[in-house]
Amino acid sequence: LTALTGYMNANRYIPNATPCRRTRREFLWEVGGGFAGLALIDLLSREGFFTRTANAEQPAASSVPYLLSPKQPHFAAKAKHAVFLFMNGAPSHIDTFDYKPTLTRFNGTPYKGDAAVGSNGRPIGHLMQTPFAFQKHGQSGLEISSLFPHTARFADDLCVIKSLYTDTAAHASGCLQMNTGTVQIGKPSLGAWLSYGLGTLSESLPSFVVMTDPRGGPISSASNWSAGFMPAAFQGTLFRSQGMPLLDLATPAGVGPRSQRQSLDLLARLNSEHLAARPGNSELAARIQSYELAYRMQTSAADTVDVNREDAKTRAMYGLDNKLTADFGRKCLITRRLLEKGVRFIQLYSGGGHLEDTWDGHTNCIANHKLHAGETDQPIAALIADLKRTGLWDETLLIWGGEFGRTPTSEGVGKPGRDHNPHGFSMWLAGAGVKGGQAIGATDEIGFKAVEERSHVSDLHATILHLMGLDHKRLTYFHQGLDQRLTGVRGNVIEAVLT
Amino acid sequence: LAAYERVIKPEHRKHWAFQRVQRPAIPPVKNRSWTRNPIDAFVLAKLEGRGWQPAPAAEPRAILRRVYLDLVGIPPTRAEQNAFLANPTPKALDQVIDRLLASPSYGERWARHWLDLVRFAETNGYERDAEKPSVWRYRDYVIRAFNDDKPYDRFILEQLAGDELPDATPETMIATGFCRLGPWDDEPADPKEDRFDQLDDMVSTTSLAFLGLTLGCARCHNHKFEPLSQLDYYRMVAVFNPLQRPQPGRADIDLPAIPPAARSRQLRTTAIWLARLGASPASAFGAFALSVQPRFDPAPRGYFLLESPPGPPATHILLRGKATRPGAEVGPGVPTVLVSAQPTFPRPEPYSSLRRLALARWIASPENPLTARVIVNRVWQFHFGEGLVRTSSDFGVMGEPPTHPELLDWLADWFVREGWSIKKLHRLILSSNTWRMNKVWNPSYGAIDPDNRLLWRVHYRRLDVEAIRDSVLAITDRLNHRMYGPSMYPEVPKEALEGHSDPDKIWKPFDEKDASRRTVYAFVKRSMVVPMLEVLDLCDTTRSSAKRTTTTVAPQALTLFNGDFINRQSGNLADRLLHEAGNDLKKQVERAYLLALCRPPSATEAAAMKQFLTSGRRGRTTTAERSALQEMCRVILNLNEFVYSD
Repeated sequence: LTALTGYMNANRYIPNATPCRRTRREFLWEVGGGFAGLALIDLLSREGFFTRTANAEQPAASSVPYLLSPKQPHFAAKAKHAVFLFMNGAPSHIDTFDYKPTLTRFNGTPYKGDAAVGSNGRPIGHLMQTPFAFQKHGQSGLEISSLFPHTARFADDLCVIKSLYTDTAAHASGCLQMNTGTVQIGKPSLGAWLSYGLGTLSESLPSFVVMTDPRGGPISSASNWSAGFMPAAFQGTLFRSQGMPLLDLATPAGVGPRSQRQSLDLLARLNSEHLAARPGNSELAARIQSYELAYRMQTSAADTVDVNREDAKTRAMYGLDNKLTADFGRKCLITRRLLEKGVRFIQLYSGGGHLEDTWDGHTNCIANHKLHAGETDQPIAALIADLKRTGLWDETLLIWGGEFGRTPTSEGVGKPGRDHNPHGFSMWLAGAGVKGGQAIGATDEIGFKAVEERSHVSDLHATILHLMGLDHKRLTYFHQGLDQRLTGVRGNVIEAVLT
Repeated sequence: LAAYERVIKPEHRKHWAFQRVQRPAIPPVKNRSWTRNPIDAFVLAKLEGRGWQPAPAAEPRAILRRVYLDLVGIPPTRAEQNAFLANPTPKALDQVIDRLLASPSYGERWARHWLDLVRFAETNGYERDAEKPSVWRYRDYVIRAFNDDKPYDRFILEQLAGDELPDATPETMIATGFCRLGPWDDEPADPKEDRFDQLDDMVSTTSLAFLGLTLGCARCHNHKFEPLSQLDYYRMVAVFNPLQRPQPGRADIDLPAIPPAARSRQLRTTAIWLARLGASPASAFGAFALSVQPRFDPAPRGYFLLESPPGPPATHILLRGKATRPGAEVGPGVPTVLVSAQPTFPRPEPYSSLRRLALARWIASPENPLTARVIVNRVWQFHFGEGLVRTSSDFGVMGEPPTHPELLDWLADWFVREGWSIKKLHRLILSSNTWRMNKVWNPSYGAIDPDNRLLWRVHYRRLDVEAIRDSVLAITDRLNHRMYGPSMYPEVPKEALEGHSDPDKIWKPFDEKDASRRTVYAFVKRSMVVPMLEVLDLCDTTRSSAKRTTTTVAPQALTLFNGDFINRQSGNLADRLLHEAGNDLKKQVERAYLLALCRPPSATEAAAMKQFLTSGRRGRTTTAERSALQEMCRVILNLNEFVYSD
């Protein structure tokens, strides 16, 4: 074609260094190239496409390569799926996984260090010890507070990173940074990058599912699971844990199942006649197929959230029979069911809306954390146990944490709240490819700042991508003149995490 | 600074897009009868060079539907169809085009393309995602600008420097809302960095939208691929740096759209008047007089930034783009590679630095190598689906070169000579035989040129979501034609608000009549894009967007097959059919096809529909008949043919 247009001569066409050409091709409809429409119709008919493909779980053999086709990772990796247990509002590392005896010693004394305290002009109190008892757990002796008795059973599986830091002390920008790599809105989220890099393993469900808290979504809501400048197909799909999980999933009121199917058959028939007269336009075939996928999704997605299909013992294990744990438990159980169906990335939010409805314990961090840990601990432990039972553990990465940590000082003298702390906080990873039973890095003696083996959020992202078989420097998307990356110009894999 | 200048080498200036536009000669062609205007000659010459033929002209019904969807975003009514089809000549189509360009719907359709480019939205994003008050007046300004065929050079001046123009008016003040449309964090993690994020938003959008340059990449280091340095970037930052929000703090306010020159004259008058009364402006009475003054202004309120005394602040290059690491001070300027000498930036006036005016005049000048090329390419892209340069916001060395460079330059030159008139450009493009070709796939050409770079047919592409939604409303006869004013709130399922941190406060109750206005009037909330618009590929609302992506995914099918909007409208269409065609099934089907697809059904289609409507299980009660008809309408509104025009 170079010769053809007579314009793409060597000077103007920069050969290598043209990521745009590569990525553009991926995002333009690739179906255009190889598929003559008539051949496709033939193929679709052979696969019984027009006579109603029944099995919801079987990937359509007729599938046209599309944006979400499964792709090879950059290198072999154990993890095929990831689950991000997002503790929205920022849990206190000092009260959960980062034990600080020194803080007990200086309890009630003024803070004399140089870290910026007092987000948004909030009052600054004195150093405040944790009221929760820490114990060593498992063979590894990992220290975990009494907030997580259930999760502690799996101490030898957890890899706690105690030395994380982030760029912001505000929830909106903190959540954005944790989810999209920067504090600005409009960037693709981790799940979008994974969908882009790896495609989906499920033909009947979205590749990236998000489940929020019944009290509300995180601040900046959908920006946290956005596809940013990538095609919308990569964005997270909000799944409701009760009722119909997806928007417009239900057959419309007044239309019976038989009528729905008849209408779809009529549509498919008219569309295939239309396509037959317009060979070469394979996007038309893809659109025909999308209606059949949607139809399968109607069954498949609804089945997935139907936790009544699980036995009573399993439901009890996830805490579904307890009001406190029922919601997060249901989400964790649905998570296992989604993983079984091949969903690539699932993000669960604990806490939603504002302040005490999230882990944002400004007023009373103790009561706040008792509540939110109480809601999530048993379900998370059940998820771990269940993944181990089903074997999914070996191919699933779990990520636990929030957007930053909390201060070792109280918010106001003598008050039980803690303020935001971006200088040091803890998260844990577990599952496929993760070396469990260890803590990496450390904060200072009172838990204010990460000081040893410090890891920026971009390092965490680089590590997560690595565990999923992706090199964060090679996972790029060309947009507005730049090879964009989740990690921007930062990011180093935290090697100690890896098995 | 000289070191930065040296980054730009003489060979960089040789890039095609950085050359002055020269009008190329119209190439000779063999098949002269095919060329209706010079566009055809350029396209045909390339095809003939391969020994290829252009695709035949599209069928009259197809071209009529295409021209309506292209120019006004809704299909022709039956009367409009009949009028054209009675005598479907090329000349008659010219007249249809003239009529559509004169209709107010044209601006409503084409303004949306511009709104994509300028990252238009009505909220700030981030935690509170607060509303940008009065920002809808900017949207109305754009609609009017298209309808009035405001010359494009003037359009540029008004948006970049409407406050600094010697003939500034409230309208041009509202146009400068362009600079304030971006996301804004009212509780930034780092206020200093945030300030530069704001400036980056203005610099990046300006260079992408008007110049087709990815200058934003030079914020932290010289551009890795383009001959653009950090100096180029921070000179542009210096142009916008004097702009300030009207007041500090979290609250976001609009202002009376009074040009600052006029305002300062007015303030002077008030001061003189106060002096005559013997009151000092600093006195309580003086302060009162100054404070109440805006109330007497009849000017509408607008959402824009202003420059404020004491003159432009110093701008520094930021090392590695960090606000904490200022380097050398820089003045205003434009990218070095594009000019032999920097344009003159005049002395600041007391009310404004006039830097943006100087920038805007340089952009809007016939000598600028990019401006005209970029806009004619955009108009081409919105008509054809692909531009002559396919990376329509990237004309740099990393962008794709034009498929028809001579045609692009000819159009750019012609456009400027014809007074920067977008409507004239539409007429030229739409009257070409090139645009009137059919979209039929040619296997032998397709094997060699699958991307249709030689334009051997017209690209096949799905309608954008606005055209889909507006067409549905037009067909059911429920389209509310009320123009302008505050936005409407399309119906959003309650469940869609669930993921939001304030689910009860963010959306207004559904008012069907108001929500049946054209989609360009739908409220654009950054943290909650209307699900139907989002799933059908509305652009990113935070950054300049050159082209909609077209995805084809199952959730779109769920929305269009199961969603409330289509099901409600299917019912409305069924009612219309019953009203207009009575109980005559044949007539109902025919009417539905004519309305939705602009053609009668084939015999097979008519038979299939009849069978569908009468299949035994459905019964023959009135209710059953209507619901069968509604089902048929739902199928028709979901047809590929409905969303892909021929």
